[in-house]
Amino acid sequence: MKHGRWRFLLGALVPALVLHVVFVLSPYAQAFWLSLTDWTGVAGEAQFVGADNYVRLGGDSLFLDAVRNNALLLIVVPLVTIAIGLFLASMLRTSSPRLGQGYRIVYFFPQLLSLVVIAVLWGFVYNPNTGLLNSGLRAIGLGGLAHSWLAEPAFALIAVMAVLVWSSVGFYVVLFSAAIEGIPRELFEAALLDGAGKWATFFRVTLPLVRESVQVAFVYLGIAALDAFAVVQVMTVGPGGPDGATEVIGLSLYRTAFTYGKFGYASAMGVALFFATLTLAVLALRSGRKERLELA
Amino acid sequence: MTLLQTRPSVDAPAPVVIKRTNPLPGLAMFCWAVVTALPLLWAVISSFKTDDEILNSPWSLPASPQWDNWARAWTAASIGRYFLNSLIVVGSALVLTMLLGSLVAYALARYEFRGNRAIYYTFVAAMFFPVFLALVPLFFVVQQLGLLGTYAGLILVYTAYAVPFTVFFLHSFFRTLPSEIAEAAFLDGCSHGAVFFRVMLPLARPGLVAVGIFNFLGLWNQYLLPLVLNPDPDRYVLAQGLAALSVSQGYRSDWSGLFAGLTIAMLPVLIAYVAFQRHIRAGMTAGAVK
Amino acid sequence: MNPDSQVRPYPTRRTILKSAAVLSVPALGGCVTAGKESGETKAGGAEKTAENPLGVKADAPLEVVVFKGGYGDEYAVKAEATYQQKYPQAKIDHKGLQKVGEAMQPRFVAGTPPDVVDNTGAGRLDIATLVSANQVTDLADLLDAPSLDQPGKKVRDTLLPGVVDDGTFAGKTVALNFTYTVWGLWYSKSLFADRGWTYPKTWDEMVALCAEIKKAGVAPWTYQGKYPEYINDPLLSMAAKAGGADLVKAVDNLQPGAWKQDGLVQAATAFAELAGQGYLMSGSEALSHTEAQAAWCQKKAAFIPCGSWLEAEQKGVAPAGFDMVMGTVPARSSSDKLPVTAVQAASSESFLVPAKAKNAAGGQEYLRILFSKQSATAFAEANSTLPAVAGATDGLTLSSGLGSVRDAVTAAGSDTFTYRFRTWYAPLAKAVDDATGELVNKRISPADWSTRIQKAADAVAKDSSVTKFTR
Repeated sequence: MKHGRWRFLLGALVPALVLHVVFVLSPYAQAFWLSLTDWTGVAGEAQFVGADNYVRLGGDSLFLDAVRNNALLLIVVPLVTIAIGLFLASMLRTSSPRLGQGYRIVYFFPQLLSLVVIAVLWGFVYNPNTGLLNSGLRAIGLGGLAHSWLAEPAFALIAVMAVLVWSSVGFYVVLFSAAIEGIPRELFEAALLDGAGKWATFFRVTLPLVRESVQVAFVYLGIAALDAFAVVQVMTVGPGGPDGATEVIGLSLYRTAFTYGKFGYASAMGVALFFATLTLAVLALRSGRKERLELA
Repeated sequence: MTLLQTRPSVDAPAPVVIKRTNPLPGLAMFCWAVVTALPLLWAVISSFKTDDEILNSPWSLPASPQWDNWARAWTAASIGRYFLNSLIVVGSALVLTMLLGSLVAYALARYEFRGNRAIYYTFVAAMFFPVFLALVPLFFVVQQLGLLGTYAGLILVYTAYAVPFTVFFLHSFFRTLPSEIAEAAFLDGCSHGAVFFRVMLPLARPGLVAVGIFNFLGLWNQYLLPLVLNPDPDRYVLAQGLAALSVSQGYRSDWSGLFAGLTIAMLPVLIAYVAFQRHIRAGMTAGAVK
Repeated sequence: MNPDSQVRPYPTRRTILKSAAVLSVPALGGCVTAGKESGETKAGGAEKTAENPLGVKADAPLEVVVFKGGYGDEYAVKAEATYQQKYPQAKIDHKGLQKVGEAMQPRFVAGTPPDVVDNTGAGRLDIATLVSANQVTDLADLLDAPSLDQPGKKVRDTLLPGVVDDGTFAGKTVALNFTYTVWGLWYSKSLFADRGWTYPKTWDEMVALCAEIKKAGVAPWTYQGKYPEYINDPLLSMAAKAGGADLVKAVDNLQPGAWKQDGLVQAATAFAELAGQGYLMSGSEALSHTEAQAAWCQKKAAFIPCGSWLEAEQKGVAPAGFDMVMGTVPARSSSDKLPVTAVQAASSESFLVPAKAKNAAGGQEYLRILFSKQSATAFAEANSTLPAVAGATDGLTLSSGLGSVRDAVTAAGSDTFTYRFRTWYAPLAKAVDDATGELVNKRISPADWSTRIQKAADAVAKDSSVTKFTR
């Protein structure tokens, strides 16, 4: 039996572990080493350059644009998505079950689509002359609001944000409505008896009780906002433009590695992104832990 | 995310129906439904229009449906081939991921041995690393194994990057399964493998379905990995093929064909979702809140 | 696999998605240098005669590897048939591949390469790496051999200007490019005839014509705004004409102040004025190449800048009787160093003979056949693309676009130019694209434009981690 146990365990773990080490762990580990070299992909020519790549990052204006844009995405996309998601989820609570179910199905649609498909589609929506958006605005007499959405620095990043929000709201509506449905009905009824209005009920009953889901949402959306690669690469002018207005770290990294062949420098960007993600996760989980202590 | 507790499933029908006088909530919900559905509907409708109609009257309906757009997208624009490539790669990777992931999750959840926690965290930590960090070295690892631009390379990498989530998700699932049945099976003389495949795996079916659906969506929509690891246009997967058509190749300015391609890429997933939406939402709630 | 993805010789957005494949190749360098050997394995040795100027051994087998992309490989097979006629005993092995680099890399490393390689397409081998690893034959003998079907001319003299240079690395010509691309401004001949517009020779005429076009309710220009490199081409062409070869050289060699040269600033000013007068179709700045070109084909705009692949790309989009033609970029002033007929031109579809080929003489002989006038003419007929052999399209009935391209090349004579910085320093190319995008959207002034790019160029020049080239 003992023998069979070990044989089973080895059989169960080793194949997955091998894949994990070869394709996941070793690349991550190598990235840290590469970020300290000037490797250009020519075998055997990686030279150790210390922190040079990191120093260079600080003076790379395009990369700094990318950091700024990712930071903006990180603030705006989760906040707006969660706000809309919570709003719609609490609206759904009070709607008829049939209708609510239908809405939930429709809201979830974008979540099912590849970001590439979404980006291609929205590229057409934003087309200044023949796109859905501008021709719609013109049709209802708001032609003055029509813009070259993706080509004006003031709007390009907002246009990207809108697509990210559009594509993720549905998921969080479903997530939050599940959490809201888990709240005992009596609490809402008690609030109603206390004479609390809709907003008061939302802030006093709903929000505190779905806090954990909101935290999860922040982490997921934060990670998505630190990426944004597919939408930017497919949809924006340049891509990453106009003039760096929609540049994101992922795009900089991809271009630096696979167009310029500067693999060491690109790896340094990856390491920077890694620490950003790590910080985000730690912050989110920390506040989660504190919350639990308070509740306990 | 393990800190959070399991929520009851969405299917519990417990909405409080309050008498409403305010039309605003209904309006807001309707508006968002329109905002969500309109661009998708627009793509479907545009896929039946001529190029001229698309360029000159974006809001109109097609004068006569151009079925030819779909045929052209499927064959001339190779959407059919990309679709098939996606099926091959995602299908194989999904089977492999589910097999390896459930084995690992089960072994870690139900067996005590030295290094158990270490292995678990090794897998789970990878969920939080940005793929971008691994991108450059991964390219060279795959290249050196001679797997660049092959189905096998893509399948193995897809699997490697989908296993951590699968392990994370199924680990807690296997933990909650009752141990009596497994013990009874051992007493009946079943081997460890047989207990897993004949007893535990069927018991874990709801979890497997949920994580399977997640993995399918994640892998089907994967873009970054194939973009880097799969440079051969003949082996492009759907997302990659569509991006190439719209961004890099231009595809001979065939908008109607491109819209048809988009629709072909969207519809199967949307239809499958409507058919399976109960499972998906139940699984999502369990998975995300767990 | 449409032809335009191979035509544009420098890296563009079209190659960016594919560049992962291109980069798979540099690793070769390390391996090849390690396995270097000096064994003479060549099958040459036959006597050189007038009929056989390269000394081909008649019975030596020949292996040809061709990139089978938008142009197919029919033209290469035809040249093989001619070779076979000349050397009936030779056994010819033909391979038409899509991924030349991937298939050839192990064979170069193993020292058993084929005799001719068409090193083109996504995933091609990096030629600079091959050169530094001594893997390619110096084609000087071939260039000095008599042309196959143009008596009294050397192969070298039958090629269009710039072709030899394009294949020359560190003083050795190691590759011959078979196709030829030129850049200019495109317009519809029928539209211009209808409206009585004449293609302008000078920029002042252009501005005057633009005013007239605009009055007629048509946007004078559109451009592929999503990819600002397109509008760069006429701007840099105008600058090159103003400043001549010296200006181009200064730019490519990263000379201090190169981007502040008067020619460049003047050209930038011209394009800023074009934008300032509202002569660019509104919305162009966000249009992809297909969208902008379609709008142009719908006669919503009169001019569009593009390379000579445009006609092939717009097949099926351009209405019947549109008759697109390419004109050369107008002259900025009468003191321009180059005549107005000068064009930006570059060659691609790169053929080379590996140094370790068993039948290197046969490989070169094959190229002599391929680059014969007859073979090039057949290629032009089949692919509506200009081959790199001078006069190959003489006497052919060409489509309006290709005809205008051929005429432009003829009129230019030896006055062709090309910037190399795009291939040499990709980050600089991006800085130029971004700056030009801002310039034609009126967000920066011509002075800012040149200051910004100069800063980027200086940064590249100072960066010790970037391999420098000079011309």
